[in-house]
Amino acid sequence: MATSTAKPAALDPQRSGAEGTALTASDRGELLRYMLLMRSTEERALSLYRQGKIPGSFYDGRGQEAVSVGSAFALAPQDRTCILHRDLGAHLLRGVAPGLVLAQMMGRAGGPTGGRDGNMHFGVAELGNVGMVSMLPDMMLVACGLALSFQMRSEPRVAMTWFGDGSTANGQWHEAMNLAGVRRLPIVFVLENNQFAYSTPNEREFAVDPVERAAVYGFPGVRVDGNDVEAVFEAANAACDRARAGGGPTLIEAVTMRMHGHGAHDDMNYVPPEMIEEWSKKDPIDAYSARAEREGVDVQALKAEIKELIDRETDWALDQPMPDPATATERVFATEDPKLGDGKAPWSRWANQTDREP
Amino acid sequence: MPAITYLEAISDGLREEMRDDDSVFCLGEDIGAFGGAFKVTDGFYEEFGSDRVWDTPLAENAIVGTAVGAAIEGWRPVCEMQFADFIACGFDQLVNVAAKMNYRQGVSVPMVVRLPSGGGFSGGPYHSQNPEAWFMQAPGLKVVAPATAEDAKGLLASAIRDPNPVIYLEHKHLYRRIKGDVRAGRYETPLGELRVARAGTDLTVVAYGAMVHTALEATEDLDGASVEVLDLRTLCPMDTDGILKSVRKTSKVVVLHEATRSCGVGAEVCALIGEEAFEDLDGPIVRVTAPDVPIPFSPPLERAVLPQVDGVKEACRELLAY
Amino acid sequence: MSSSPTEQTGSLGESQELTEVVMPQMGVSVAEGTITAWRKQVGDWVERDEPILDISTDKVETEVPSPAAGRVAELIVAEGETVEVGTLLATLDTGAKPGEAHAAEANGDGSQAAEPKVPTAAATESAAPAQPTGSKAPRGTNSGNAAPVSPVVRRIADEHSVDLGAVPGTGRRGRVTKKDLLIFIESGEGTEGAQPPTSAGSSSTPAPSPGSTGASAPRALHIESPYVEEPPLTSADAAKLPGGGEMSVMRKRIAEHMVRSVQTAAHCTTVTEADMAAVERARKGGPKKLSYLAFVARATVGALRENPQLNATIEGDRITPHEEVHLGIAVSLGDAGLVVPVIRNAHELSHEGIAARIADVAERARSKRLEPGETQGGTFTITNPGPFGTLISTPIINQPQVGILDLEAVAKRPVVVTDADGNDSIAIRPMSYLCLSWDHRAIDGVRAAQFLAALRAGLEGWRG
Repeated sequence: MATSTAKPAALDPQRSGAEGTALTASDRGELLRYMLLMRSTEERALSLYRQGKIPGSFYDGRGQEAVSVGSAFALAPQDRTCILHRDLGAHLLRGVAPGLVLAQMMGRAGGPTGGRDGNMHFGVAELGNVGMVSMLPDMMLVACGLALSFQMRSEPRVAMTWFGDGSTANGQWHEAMNLAGVRRLPIVFVLENNQFAYSTPNEREFAVDPVERAAVYGFPGVRVDGNDVEAVFEAANAACDRARAGGGPTLIEAVTMRMHGHGAHDDMNYVPPEMIEEWSKKDPIDAYSARAEREGVDVQALKAEIKELIDRETDWALDQPMPDPATATERVFATEDPKLGDGKAPWSRWANQTDREP
Repeated sequence: MPAITYLEAISDGLREEMRDDDSVFCLGEDIGAFGGAFKVTDGFYEEFGSDRVWDTPLAENAIVGTAVGAAIEGWRPVCEMQFADFIACGFDQLVNVAAKMNYRQGVSVPMVVRLPSGGGFSGGPYHSQNPEAWFMQAPGLKVVAPATAEDAKGLLASAIRDPNPVIYLEHKHLYRRIKGDVRAGRYETPLGELRVARAGTDLTVVAYGAMVHTALEATEDLDGASVEVLDLRTLCPMDTDGILKSVRKTSKVVVLHEATRSCGVGAEVCALIGEEAFEDLDGPIVRVTAPDVPIPFSPPLERAVLPQVDGVKEACRELLAY
Repeated sequence: MSSSPTEQTGSLGESQELTEVVMPQMGVSVAEGTITAWRKQVGDWVERDEPILDISTDKVETEVPSPAAGRVAELIVAEGETVEVGTLLATLDTGAKPGEAHAAEANGDGSQAAEPKVPTAAATESAAPAQPTGSKAPRGTNSGNAAPVSPVVRRIADEHSVDLGAVPGTGRRGRVTKKDLLIFIESGEGTEGAQPPTSAGSSSTPAPSPGSTGASAPRALHIESPYVEEPPLTSADAAKLPGGGEMSVMRKRIAEHMVRSVQTAAHCTTVTEADMAAVERARKGGPKKLSYLAFVARATVGALRENPQLNATIEGDRITPHEEVHLGIAVSLGDAGLVVPVIRNAHELSHEGIAARIADVAERARSKRLEPGETQGGTFTITNPGPFGTLISTPIINQPQVGILDLEAVAKRPVVVTDADGNDSIAIRPMSYLCLSWDHRAIDGVRAAQFLAALRAGLEGWRG
């Protein structure tokens, strides 16, 4: 199983495949919408951070929008996710309102963790996401557990999880890859290689591109252009369908660039300016806007709509109260079993889903 | 019904839970066809199949982390660490993912991690530890340590039914040494309640796990003194009321544990008594524990380190005479 | 539990009124019980309804309230013994008054029952000397001797106004031990008042509040963070008017649950009325006057056993009727909200047993000492708003149950009664509306009506 950068054969819309695996014009509009939504939400959040409204640290995924949006677009409602800090697009696509994200960052009681955890450490359980921890890539193993439970119940469902280039050095990365491979778990591992782990560039992180390791663990590794939302989507969809059919895991390496610092406090002076220059010409949203327009999407109207939405959502978030200090010691222990719900799935393929067959 | 061993009681309890609820499954190294390093899951593979008795790769973080994910999605995983000592290799998933998930995200994680713990058979530094205090410092984890066969079964059932991650410390030295009458069928022993192993009036020994038996033996016939022995059973959440009630009665306390001294369960119990029952004390609170050393391998060294019956007798005598 | 006051002559010659404490029947099938702990010792004062002992049966463990106020005259059965229902366990001298002297003083057993405050001027029965007799050489005095006074010795000595110098000490360095002191007190020397040693626990130092690291002023959370903490928004009125302000966590939880319940279940409410005269008779005839709620709860259990469709839970499309009745009792926490602790296996309890459990969970709910999980697993819920005279209500079902019963006021009303010959007349009866909200997804009106008919029959036909 060699690595491949070609378009996965299973998804060529020219071929007959399962009905509706192609993208409609409306789908393309959705892909753009969610990338724009991610960008706008993060820009607003950064602004709030600079206004002194966000405690602690601030992290965004500017320039990487195509990775989370493209991959999450392939998910069916009953699939499950462990989303990471530069993948806001996946949260939004699965149905999390931008206001909730802003409230979360501002530590408000109305946010998804009620102020108990900060920045992107959240997951809306009702939409099928398990919130991340700081230690990376711990969520890969949790996602393996989700996938294992689907496998044990013989359900055609997929777990998808994201992680960065730095985490591939960690022992748990290998434990997850090995476990997924030996059990042929229905899981999609999305490695977003954004060139830097904080200030550490790829050449100091690994000797060989991690996508090559997939073969050694027994499943395919696919490298795609992380700034081409449709390429990411196609790779993710092929991986999901494979997993649902019992074909086991896939490692997708989406090659992209982190356009901001590790966090808002990082001026990224270790990044060569020409690298920033080069990658800003490959902005995923700029590239796709043009494509979407050709398909008939009114990009200007979309942007205006999103701006208005973000303003409304910001107002809502700013209205949310801070948490009551008296509740700080509550909820250490649970009294009920967990219940994850299904996420939204805007891809037209899932629009008339009545059963769970792929 | 005939008395069964502590080990058999654990097996029995686990089997009952797996029969009662399909969502309970076991994962760990060598637990399948081999039946587990200590044979706790002997016969399970045949009865429940390889999906519900999963022989995992040698990867403790993977065992714990995968259990977290499965628990969130409706299963009740029971992880087995081959020795309690190896939880250190799965520590990150346990304290950073499992323990904090409910507090942070409102998502509960109903899972159990079974830890064969304790020494007394020349296991050496990596097969003899009693790591319970580590988990008591990680809010969100419950910790139980049965001392009797009856409680081993009942506490395991409760641990499995609990929607929180529960660390279940099964003392290896009790596996075949302790027998007891154990009720047939399913029963749950509530968490958070201690057991008075022997009632008394002159002095209280607070103990758990294997040390309960050491305490009972040491104070059986101690110069006619009436010594109360408490079996904590649950370390977190601890039955503080039960402890204080005993202290108010006897006013003299010896806290006994096999784990090493500093910042152990004993330190917590002593602080509790000092804070809440100061005016009921008729003498200093005494701890009998292993000293702060890794547990040595050679028998004379190990014996010098792990609390013995004579040492407990000595400490009780001293305090009784105070 | 029955009690029969009898006149007896006590050991001191004066007449005592003795009330019996017997092993209660905790449930229809229970034939015996085990005493797990005596909460009072001989000589201790006990208030009516105050827990006097703990028992354990096959089905339930519970505390047993004292049938009367009095002094414990005799403990007949020891802790750990198992005896048949009805066995005499202890006697109480109900003719005694609190604060009076009595024959035997017992050591405190560490129980936390609150004793009534005893005035120090209470009369002593014997003329005990206030000072130690001169022949005893004081030992263990603090002056000149290094033996420390332990906290418990200090406390007990203070409580009894004992001069420790007068107490012989057998501890190390001549220390006065707790035992030494108690023996000394028991022997009657040096005591001033005839107060029994406090059996209540030590004055506990309050646990430090969580987060007592002392951070009160807002501080920078991260070196590079520009975060600025805003002063809290306050409404001038919010502090004055009750029930206002941001919802507490409990309030939010209740709000969420209620909305979810209304959105999930197809709520219908059916009402019946019951003549509570038989219950009234039973209330007055019992050793202590139990609440209506206990009787209604017991009758509800019976009606649920006959109509298990109401003793059910719903999960998605699946309805699960239950054999066991785990009864939730709504406990009001005032404006703060309410909580519904569950009395497990209520079908094993008599109405007295249920009354005791209701008192327990209500008290613990109000003092926030419910165990986690104690509000889970209910199969049916009963709610009762209290003595405000309201008549009818349409309660919201406690998910995922199928029904909830609201007990409203028992009010005297004129009703038509028919005599044996078929003649109608108007009579004044104590009537109560019993309001059942039920989920039309799971059952239909006929079943709801049948349940209520069974409940009514159980109440109107109450015997014993």
